Amino acid sequence: MAQAAVMAALAAALSIISVVVPFAGGLSLLTTVPMGLLGYRYRLRVLVAATFAAGVVAFLIAGVSGLMVVVNCAYVGGLAGIMKRRGRGTGTVIVVGLVAGVVFGLFIIAALTVLVRLRTLTFAAMTANFDGVVSVASHIELFRPAAQDARHLFGIALQYWPLFLMAYAMFSIMVVTLVGWWALSRVLDRLSGIPDVHKLETPDESGPVAPVPVRLIDARFRYPNAAHDALKPLSMTVDAGEDVAITGANGSGKTTLMLLLSGRAPTSGSIERPGAVGLGQVGGTAVIMQHPESQVLGTRVADDVVWGLPPGTDTDVAGLLREVGLDGMEERNTGGLSGGELQRLAVAAALARKPSLLIADEVTSMVDQRGRESLLSVLSGLTERHQMALVQITHYNNEADTADRIVQLSQSQDNLVESAAAPTPTDSPAPRAAEPVLQFEHVGHEYASGTPWAKPALHDVGFTVHEGEGVLIHGGNGSGKSTLAWIMAGLTTPTSGSALVRGTPATECVGEVAIAFQAARLQLMRSRVDLEVASAAGFSPHDRARVSAALAKVGLDASLAGRRIDQLSGGQMRRVVIAGLLARSPHALILDEPLAGLDAASQRGLLRLLTDLRRNSGLTVVVISHDFVGLEELCPRTLHLRDGVLTEGPS
Amino acid sequence: MTTRQPRPVVLLRPVPGTSAIHELWAGTKIIVVLGFSALMAFYPDWVPLALVTILIGIAVRMARIPRGVLPSVPTWLWLLLLVGCVTAAIGGGEPYVHLGSFEIAFGGLLKFVRITVVSLVLLGLGMLVSWTTNIADIAPAVARLGRPFRFLRIPVDDWAVALALALRAFPMLLDEFRLLYAARRLRPRPVLTSRRARRRRWVIEMVDLLAAGITVALRRADEMGDAITARGGTGLISAALSGPRRADWVVLTICGLVCVVSVVLQATVLAGTGI
Repeated sequence: MAQAAVMAALAAALSIISVVVPFAGGLSLLTTVPMGLLGYRYRLRVLVAATFAAGVVAFLIAGVSGLMVVVNCAYVGGLAGIMKRRGRGTGTVIVVGLVAGVVFGLFIIAALTVLVRLRTLTFAAMTANFDGVVSVASHIELFRPAAQDARHLFGIALQYWPLFLMAYAMFSIMVVTLVGWWALSRVLDRLSGIPDVHKLETPDESGPVAPVPVRLIDARFRYPNAAHDALKPLSMTVDAGEDVAITGANGSGKTTLMLLLSGRAPTSGSIERPGAVGLGQVGGTAVIMQHPESQVLGTRVADDVVWGLPPGTDTDVAGLLREVGLDGMEERNTGGLSGGELQRLAVAAALARKPSLLIADEVTSMVDQRGRESLLSVLSGLTERHQMALVQITHYNNEADTADRIVQLSQSQDNLVESAAAPTPTDSPAPRAAEPVLQFEHVGHEYASGTPWAKPALHDVGFTVHEGEGVLIHGGNGSGKSTLAWIMAGLTTPTSGSALVRGTPATECVGEVAIAFQAARLQLMRSRVDLEVASAAGFSPHDRARVSAALAKVGLDASLAGRRIDQLSGGQMRRVVIAGLLARSPHALILDEPLAGLDAASQRGLLRLLTDLRRNSGLTVVVISHDFVGLEELCPRTLHLRDGVLTEGPS
Repeated sequence: MTTRQPRPVVLLRPVPGTSAIHELWAGTKIIVVLGFSALMAFYPDWVPLALVTILIGIAVRMARIPRGVLPSVPTWLWLLLLVGCVTAAIGGGEPYVHLGSFEIAFGGLLKFVRITVVSLVLLGLGMLVSWTTNIADIAPAVARLGRPFRFLRIPVDDWAVALALALRAFPMLLDEFRLLYAARRLRPRPVLTSRRARRRRWVIEMVDLLAAGITVALRRADEMGDAITARGGTGLISAALSGPRRADWVVLTICGLVCVVSVVLQATVLAGTGI
């Protein structure tokens, strides 16, 4: 269901872009791919639901034409996907495309036969335009005969419009089907190596819901086809009303333990409970996960609290929101909430189910400092206010302090070992000429300027970053720090003021200031590490030496070059991004939240690496973050950004 | 120094503030848009066009929608319209207007203008909904409107859930696309000499972009799937009850009347006059 919805959104987005943005009509061909993927993976029902959702979204934004694009693409893409699932070849696809074209053509002809007036009007307008062109052309002696012929042909075409439409429908559907088929095959090949990250599943169980007290006896878990245990044999208990913290580094099986507690059967050993797990059910188990954005499902705060409850449930939405400190926000849109607020909303939604066991899986890792504190204060009092046990999974030891009991998971062997080799230090540090690299003067920016949705992001920002400097731009959610980063990289043109990179406006030298986004995966476009680094840096992927050198610079082993992007860990992805960026010798490197989502060890490793790079090769580094912790050495200078206003902080 | 920037297209966000139009039930607006679209499709003539345009105008005034909501129209679109107008005007046809000894044929121009106005009106209808409706209200309204179809064993509720999730995921995906596009702009353009190499490059890039986009979408979908499982499957999608109120019935009646009047006029009094 979620896949259908997100694919629908993707398809809708593609088709809307293809309708709204001029010259992007070709994109509509690609809309077939997400639909094809649904057709390939799931039953027809899912495809139909997705088509409906995408159609409505497209209709709301782009009107009837958007709807038509979606329906058309769902039709063609769905067919291609189903063909693919049945393992048919190109021949079948051509035949199916022809038949589909005939059906589609008949449909259009039928529609136009009914809509007589619209048809006559369209044809009349077309004739008028055509006649105009013809009569202009007829004034030139040379073109006169050709123009007359064209006019004659056009007349015939209009007279026999059903035939022409049929031919056109068959031809276009054929082309679209083939393009969609080809793109789908390519994309499916690419996707086949992505590990299935789908984690939670509804436990198959019956009987009264009673998840606590739960007792694990030598429970061990290994994912199918994995070489190592994700969780080593573990024995522990969680009693009713208890507040337990589980700590451990990445790869120690924290998330796997969450899966076991929420109903998966262990590979060996046993788990004893008095009743059913009741995942998401009233009085059962509730889980809050890491990513704030994707676990909030409602578009409005109040809707999200009740989302998924059985119809007819009476919920005290206002009371729940008050408990998590979001009182009076029922009508707010969830899209405008900060990470911390979203997570507290997720807590409220979990509490709406009056769970006996609440599992919080690294809920603070993507939240800024202020959000973290308020979230932890909400969590810490839960076991006293409610009849429930709380299991907090975290890799920050200080977050475990408020718990009654701490369980430390030992490191299990992870099959992806991060190469933490120190980067080769260059002996001669670059001369510190202290030339200004980035110069901002009175920069202001406003989004959607001139419309009722205008939203100021930056006011009169002025600062200078010199060569070899390390600067931290610190600000909370919504302070405008990402906007600032985009302007520095030349990706956004500020509405006022000047942003210069070594004297040239930043927008004229896009790519000379490197920027590493928070979502590293989005920045990795090629399928393999070596291709990626080469493409980002602009040299040939066959140039092994340069690829290895680029990787070595960020402390990655050359053996990683042949690995697929989707098999990298979060920390490795970030390093690959930086490797590609540094290989172009940028004027400066901007890092947007470089530490978010990494465990403590990877964070330390990445910081060490960046500090060394700055020290040894004179790299100018600008870090955009909501955190100070550990950044003092990398960034001795701090600028504070608050509500779009920049102030120099204490150094 | 202030650079003037073109006004962007803002998607799926209502104009701030509230009004009688903002407070109408989303289902009413959907019915009205569908009804008028059908009217335009069957009778794309001046009388229905004028009536619908007047209604849109009143609604825009009532909703206090400022002019700034319209995105800037790029110059080439104006040019295209102009070329269309000119060729259609030269195309001529009935009716003729006599100005002294000159005879000007307006037929072609009128037809071209009419079809342009029809598309503008249809676009305006959709825009009006998007300017005045909170997207959170749409899915529950669709679920309510689709209730009769349940008897045909159409899984309307599943569709509504999918729609709600799609609307929730849509802005996130747009942000991710923006990022993808930016990341692509940051890369150096490979220097390619032959046309074949350029074409191959383009194809590879297309597949890479598509794969990156779909990977991201799949990951997001998996996470949302987990979140749904964690909540014990689907169920309610809205905290508030949604349904038509008195104002909605008034609006529906007015719009229904407009449809009936235009159809009747077109079919009887104006039939054959070519207006």
